Amino acid sequence: MMPLAILLGVVTFAGGLVWAERRLLALWQDRYGPNRVGPFGLLQVVADAIKLLTKEDWVPPFADRALFVLAPALVMVTALLSFAVVPVAPGIGVVGSNVGLLFFLAMTSMGAWGVVLAGWASNSKYSLLGGLRSAAQLLTYEAFMGLSLCGVVILAGSFDLREIVLAQRRVWFVVPQIVGCLTFLVAGLAAIHRLPFDLPEAEAELVAGYHSEYSGMKFAMFFVAEYVGITLISALSAVLFFGGWLGPVLPPIVWFFLKTSFFVGFFILLRAALPRPRFDQLMAFGWKVMLPVSLANLLVTGAIVLS
Amino acid sequence: MTAQYIPLVVLLGVAGVLVVTFFLLSSILGKKNMTPTKAMPYESGMESHGAAGVRPSVKFYLTAILFVVFDVEAVFLYPWAIEYRSLGWAGLVMMLGFLVVLALGLLYVWKKGALEWE
Amino acid sequence: MEAPAHPIVQRFAARAVADEARDVPTFWIDAARIHEVLTFLKDEVERPYRMLYDLTAIDERMRRAAPGPPREMTVVYHLLSLERNQDVRLKVAVPSEAPAVPTATDIWPSASWYEREVWDMFGVKFDGHPDLRRILMPPTWRGHPLRKDHPARATEMGVFELPDERAQAEEEAMRSAEREPTDSTRILTLNLGPQHPGTHGVLRIVLDLDGERIVDARPDIGFHHRGAEKMGERQSWHTFIPYTDRIDYLGGVVNELPYLLAVEALAGIEVPDRAKVIRIMLCELFRIASHLVWYGTFAQDLGALSPVFYMFTDRERAFQIVEAICGARMHPGWFRIGGVAQDLPRGWDGLVREFCEHMPDRLREYDRMVMKNPIFQARTRGIGAYTTAQAIEWGVTGPGLRATGLGWDFRKKRPYGGYDHFEFDIPTAAAGDSYARAEVRVAEMWQSLRIIEQCVNDMPGGPVKADHPLATPPPKERALHDIEALITHFLGVSWGPVIPAGEAFCGVEATKGSNGYYLVSDGDVHPYRVRIRTPSFPHMQMLPAISRGLMVSDLVTILGSIDFVLADVDR
Repeated sequence: MMPLAILLGVVTFAGGLVWAERRLLALWQDRYGPNRVGPFGLLQVVADAIKLLTKEDWVPPFADRALFVLAPALVMVTALLSFAVVPVAPGIGVVGSNVGLLFFLAMTSMGAWGVVLAGWASNSKYSLLGGLRSAAQLLTYEAFMGLSLCGVVILAGSFDLREIVLAQRRVWFVVPQIVGCLTFLVAGLAAIHRLPFDLPEAEAELVAGYHSEYSGMKFAMFFVAEYVGITLISALSAVLFFGGWLGPVLPPIVWFFLKTSFFVGFFILLRAALPRPRFDQLMAFGWKVMLPVSLANLLVTGAIVLS
Repeated sequence: MTAQYIPLVVLLGVAGVLVVTFFLLSSILGKKNMTPTKAMPYESGMESHGAAGVRPSVKFYLTAILFVVFDVEAVFLYPWAIEYRSLGWAGLVMMLGFLVVLALGLLYVWKKGALEWE
Repeated sequence: MEAPAHPIVQRFAARAVADEARDVPTFWIDAARIHEVLTFLKDEVERPYRMLYDLTAIDERMRRAAPGPPREMTVVYHLLSLERNQDVRLKVAVPSEAPAVPTATDIWPSASWYEREVWDMFGVKFDGHPDLRRILMPPTWRGHPLRKDHPARATEMGVFELPDERAQAEEEAMRSAEREPTDSTRILTLNLGPQHPGTHGVLRIVLDLDGERIVDARPDIGFHHRGAEKMGERQSWHTFIPYTDRIDYLGGVVNELPYLLAVEALAGIEVPDRAKVIRIMLCELFRIASHLVWYGTFAQDLGALSPVFYMFTDRERAFQIVEAICGARMHPGWFRIGGVAQDLPRGWDGLVREFCEHMPDRLREYDRMVMKNPIFQARTRGIGAYTTAQAIEWGVTGPGLRATGLGWDFRKKRPYGGYDHFEFDIPTAAAGDSYARAEVRVAEMWQSLRIIEQCVNDMPGGPVKADHPLATPPPKERALHDIEALITHFLGVSWGPVIPAGEAFCGVEATKGSNGYYLVSDGDVHPYRVRIRTPSFPHMQMLPAISRGLMVSDLVTILGSIDFVLADVDR
């Protein structure tokens, strides 16, 4: 039952997140956002889902058929699978794996390849450019996402996310690992293509980038996967750096939910506030700033832990 | 040990079923209407010619190679990180040596201009 | 008029003849010598005419009375000297059968598009032009629309049909703007537009890309062409006013001003002070509204989602004032020959004051949100830079010129319509890049607010329409008391005014640069020729020169920083 419950929980949260994001953006941008369908526009997501379901199931004749269908499925499945290792609360979670963190990293990379595949399989110029951007961005930010987490691993002495949470009973890892936390947030944003890292779909430049040729349910998969991705990175940030379910008075699951929501809100705020850097600036930032900083952070952490 | 991962397989199954169901539903519910213009790749309303024939810029390959270097290094770091406390100062010094070589490598490609998107 | 002493006369005495035009020194030049004269004026004369401000033509075959040499068509060059603060107009008489003049593309790069337009519209060939193709009309078009024998209305042209084969042929013809790249495996030809969210309308840019680096960019314009100049020839002087609003559709009444100033110059109308100040106030309101649209969309082009919503909300405030005064919002069609349509409504000053108090805080906030954002600066600084000399060479005016450090503003340099009575500064920036252009526009909004405040504080009293027989529409008060007044009123309303023969030019500082109307009257109820010189046209032409070697994202930055409107490019 647990896998099903987690899955339902995640999908529901992601659906709610679509609504929350639109309402929050609207709030910050002095407008209403969806407010007509259902109370506070809550059923807008349902209406959208129905609309997308009844859209034409379309595979362009010029596309690579198998890959074109596989790409959105891959993105969606890997995003959902990553939640297998997320410890929501004691006793709530799919698997308590001793390589949980590695599993998360693996799934994130796999999902990002879905985006690259989509760009490639579409066989359309804008999609191709989006796919290429995505590939390069993925490679660059993947290179230090793992590094940024090594500090946490050193402190906790484990890849098991439960152990990592428990290791934060005295102090949240955000304190000793503030640099690691920041680099992880940046890498996480890049991995899920959220603004300011949404270059693979940058609409003013590439129209819709890698998913230019997608419509209907296959587009919806990318769309939902993005929100599942936001939830995932938020949950991971809470787990790795902010003590996961730990917290006074309130039940653990509530703490987990609150912390995750905080990061979700933060990511939405970023989207409302920031412009988008240029592709080469993004790459340079990854290689010349984030990578050296992650390396330095690791060494400093190592020295501090021993002394 | 393996029994522990059964829920994971279940999750994979459920997620897969979910996606396939959505695709099937959409293929049943959605109407089909093929037009000649719909069969053309999008290129701002112009006829598109030759997306497939283009080779990506060599920079992308370079990025890929750099990635391999630095990600493999991360793979070496994980076991070290997890056993860090038991390795002690010796571990730090060893890894310091490794990372210095790596940092020198980064510095080298940096100076060589491999990180410039020109 | 200093025509007798003009250097052209001194140098080419035998060839130059002063024309009847009163506004700009005008000379007739032989087609054989035009190239020599242009070179002389640009490079050799003291305080040279460095800018090719406009290049157009007139089909003279239907003229009733045209002074000057006998001719069937006239090619008109309009040069601008910043050093002299003076224009010169050169006219070349050509036959209507196979007309040809030598190209000026080797003198000014900006001549290229102008010559293509004249070829497209009049069928005048420019010998030596490297790429003399149609520019505004589709490549498959037959005839040259601005010739007098070309039909002006769709109803004169038969039913329009677009069967599949023809659509296919049109599509194929459009590919002429694409060029087979020399190295087709390395270079990707990409159509950015006509249907693209980054082009601000129906603009097509054919890009040759190496990875994401732009090897070449070729704008293909004309998708928004509506034949505004041709429409001018069939509308009455009065009924053409609303069409001008839609040239730079973000500029609203700013477009009406140069047209009406030119008409009023032809008619010899002096506009009363109150009308002048009302006009200026509305123009500056529209300048702010237009700049706000630019501000928001520019930020959005760079990926910032929120600013555009704030700025459109503030633009809405400006439009509420416009609506209270004019009844319409974006295209009020409010100015009239001899003044404005009506007096200001009661309570207008409160609205305007409120706006002037509200805006400074907002502008400061936008400054923090957009201009000071480090990512925004990284995306715009050093991108699409050009020097003052380049700008003049390409015919760049407005904020794009001032961003290079040259404080050239027609409101100051050639005060028109009463601007000489206002205090304001000309903001400039030095770098000439996208960020500098943004800085100038932001600073201009502050200056516009200053001007508007002065308008509110010192609004003169008196009539809002000149007491002149050609002021349109004529006053109604006495029409039902006196048969002569009734007849005059009837003619003035039904036919419109008869504007005396002659020609007049007026250029103003519009929202995007210098917008100029060159009107030729044959002493009729409608213009003989309406030439609309828009700023966006030369600005767009410069795009390839400043975007080569940059990336696709930079192209979007440059497009945003130029602040063009496609209706202004294509007319």
